[in-house]
Amino acid sequence: MNKDKSLKDLKEIVGKEFVSNNAEDLFIYSQDPGVSDPQPVDFVVMPKTVEEIQKIVKLANEEKIPITPMGGGMTLSGLAIPVKGGIVLDMKRMDEIIEINELSRYALIEAGVTTGKLQAYLEEHYPNLEVSIPDAPPSVTVAGNALIHGSGFLSQKHGDHGSMLNGLEVVLPNGEACKLGSCALSNYWFTRGPIPDFIGLFTSSFGTMGIATKLSIKLYPKPNIRDIILGRFEDPKMIPNLLLKITHSEIAEDILLSMQDKPEWMKGFFFIMVYITGDSKEELDSKTKILKNIYRKAKGIDMEFPSKKMKDFFLEKPIFYSTTADFRKGGGFEYVGAMMSLEKIPEAIVSGSKISNKYGIITTIGCRVIGKCHNILFFISYPFNRADPDDVQNARNALEETNVAMLELGGIPWKAELSAQKLILKKIDPNYKMLLKTIRSALDPNGIMNPGNWEVS
Amino acid sequence: MTLETEQDWKSIVHRCFRCGYCKFTHSYSDFNCPSYKKYRFETYSTGGRMWLIFGLINGDIQWSQNLSNVLYACTTCGNCVENCRFEKFNSFIVDFIEAARAEAVKAGFCPEKQKLLLERTMNSEMFNPYGEQNSDNADLKKEYDLPDNAEWVYFIGCTSNYRQKKLRDATLRLLKKAKIDFTLIDEHCCCSPIIRTGQITPVKDFIDYNITQIKKTGASKVITSCAGCYRTIKKDWLKFGAEYEFEVLHTLELVKQLLDDGKIKIKSEYNKTVTYHDPCHIGRHVGLYEEPREVYKQIPGINFVEMKRNRENAWCCGAGGGVKIGYPDWAVEISKERVEEAKETGATVLSSTCPFCRTNLSDANEKHELGLEVIDLIEILDQLEIEINDSNLI
Repeated sequence: MNKDKSLKDLKEIVGKEFVSNNAEDLFIYSQDPGVSDPQPVDFVVMPKTVEEIQKIVKLANEEKIPITPMGGGMTLSGLAIPVKGGIVLDMKRMDEIIEINELSRYALIEAGVTTGKLQAYLEEHYPNLEVSIPDAPPSVTVAGNALIHGSGFLSQKHGDHGSMLNGLEVVLPNGEACKLGSCALSNYWFTRGPIPDFIGLFTSSFGTMGIATKLSIKLYPKPNIRDIILGRFEDPKMIPNLLLKITHSEIAEDILLSMQDKPEWMKGFFFIMVYITGDSKEELDSKTKILKNIYRKAKGIDMEFPSKKMKDFFLEKPIFYSTTADFRKGGGFEYVGAMMSLEKIPEAIVSGSKISNKYGIITTIGCRVIGKCHNILFFISYPFNRADPDDVQNARNALEETNVAMLELGGIPWKAELSAQKLILKKIDPNYKMLLKTIRSALDPNGIMNPGNWEVS
Repeated sequence: MTLETEQDWKSIVHRCFRCGYCKFTHSYSDFNCPSYKKYRFETYSTGGRMWLIFGLINGDIQWSQNLSNVLYACTTCGNCVENCRFEKFNSFIVDFIEAARAEAVKAGFCPEKQKLLLERTMNSEMFNPYGEQNSDNADLKKEYDLPDNAEWVYFIGCTSNYRQKKLRDATLRLLKKAKIDFTLIDEHCCCSPIIRTGQITPVKDFIDYNITQIKKTGASKVITSCAGCYRTIKKDWLKFGAEYEFEVLHTLELVKQLLDDGKIKIKSEYNKTVTYHDPCHIGRHVGLYEEPREVYKQIPGINFVEMKRNRENAWCCGAGGGVKIGYPDWAVEISKERVEEAKETGATVLSSTCPFCRTNLSDANEKHELGLEVIDLIEILDQLEIEINDSNLI
């Protein structure tokens, strides 16, 4: 790669103020808030249009420059850190909300729109509609989250965010722009089928198949009132049955489980938060009654939050889970999020607790029900002190061991960091691996798209 | 205070997670960090700056002019402080940036334009960042028949004394009209510009000088119409170890007190639609949000309207933190966004309580021919008939 020529070309494509190879920019874009090691970056580029991205991709092919697309850069698992250098493509200038279709209930947006922006826009202009946002900071992008199979407060009812994609526009590794879903043949971005569904190719492939530039995401009717019914239980073995009963009742918007060893009152129990919604107090009262009955039959107790502040914390959208980053006064945390089958959750809790204890990290475990128990996002957090390399390594070791454990239980690490990707590829059906390699080689013969990720040897 | 001497800061700055709440308004409706909104690289977000500072402390990155520019391309408006969710250290964010700027100065990387602020302030003919001949205010004392000793000192501030004289004169007339027992001192710069830009070496001497002058008058209260001076005297002087017993008030606080106590009453009408710009130094830095609004709302005839972003969510005028001198075009660009937001309300008057905001808002208003009247609250009051109900006012 001729860096001077590439820099000049990139400046011509997006404008000199939106390309940088300054040391301080490269420093910031070489790392994320998780435990992944920083990697050298050659250029940071901020495109504004699809055409600019096409030109960048064509240039990258000519010069064999790796491209790593970046949304909010908050996966924590290093997915926007370029493993093999090259260009970090920060998408956040592509931040237009193009259309809200109230009748077909979708938002057509550019890939750099943040969850915060879309959430605020709907609240102001379409108060009867809402989008499922993750419990990530509002600076993450809708596209970035959907494309890693993220989940949010509507995922219990409607599935993970990847499944909420109605359509996608991508720039392929050869520089061609391609529309996927109904938008490929219609002005309406309302469905993925009934044509061969290629959107899955671009989810959880971490930018290795192309660069998403626009997407249609499903919107949902927004109820007037929302509340949480908190329950406390002792035996994690009862979790599967309890969750089945709650989801069978069809009254839960969101279901979160948590187990923590601190504060003291939480130790030894697991807690369930069922979010209920409605358009009237009577409706909520009725749902509350049903839930309390389920809790009681499961030998649990419904309880008030210890403080209003705490309840408000969990009612906020998004929930400020980033607070975990300050548990060790160190500005960092990463978690193993693993997609698990419901029946394995009790074992995952036992396993996760053991690993936390082994590494001297206060056990912080949670689960989110996705799609009426079709899938459970299990997460165990490992906060660390960024200023202490030993503490970072300790968290890294805990993460690795947890990834191994979750795979052994039949789960799949979510938004897998490099080492977890390797573990997955080691275990995965060889023909799946071969298919992945074949597709990738066909789409990206020069290997420019986020190389190093999902690398099949 | 510098990162080097304040070991605590070194042990805090890495706690920033770079989550990005600091970029937004409360509702996430828009980016409210002027620097991030302009540059869009993560480097120019508050989190980016915190990570760069930590990188400097750690030795992972070295000083350069570019890096220094990142640290100086920030109005220190405090939107990050307001929106950072980490309550245990968010109040220090602007301090981190100012401390890092002090480190830049020590390392020889203070940008050239900002250096002018110190050179002029240190010049014994000037003692102000505007490069004007120092005014000892003797002529003003004579003109307004002010005593040597008084209960109050009106600390005019460099911007009002050298650039926004209408505000200075309006304040003087208002204080006289309200029969406040006040005087002026031969003041030197309060040091806001040099503190904000990390050029802190002479600050303590300037503070000591000004305090000595105030003490000479026997005053127990200091009043100013400048948001920058107000924040600096009230907060920064104490941070730099100053010891004083006088009370510090912004003129708007005095006016509110007089109105609330019924000691003055506004008799004439101000039949205009007015919107208020919260200066960062009064708003987010000190927390005065309702007080100015309560004064505006007591003006007969006024139609007071709010901008979309107000109070804690106010968009910065763009002048602070050394940005006006360091990045003059960008400063006006920021200000243009504010004046346009004011226009959206239907207001014909954009009012504030800070001469520095007034300057920058006026610059954008004139440059882009936006057609608003930009005026300070005190200047509005100066235009109105005020009835005095008690000769022994305060």
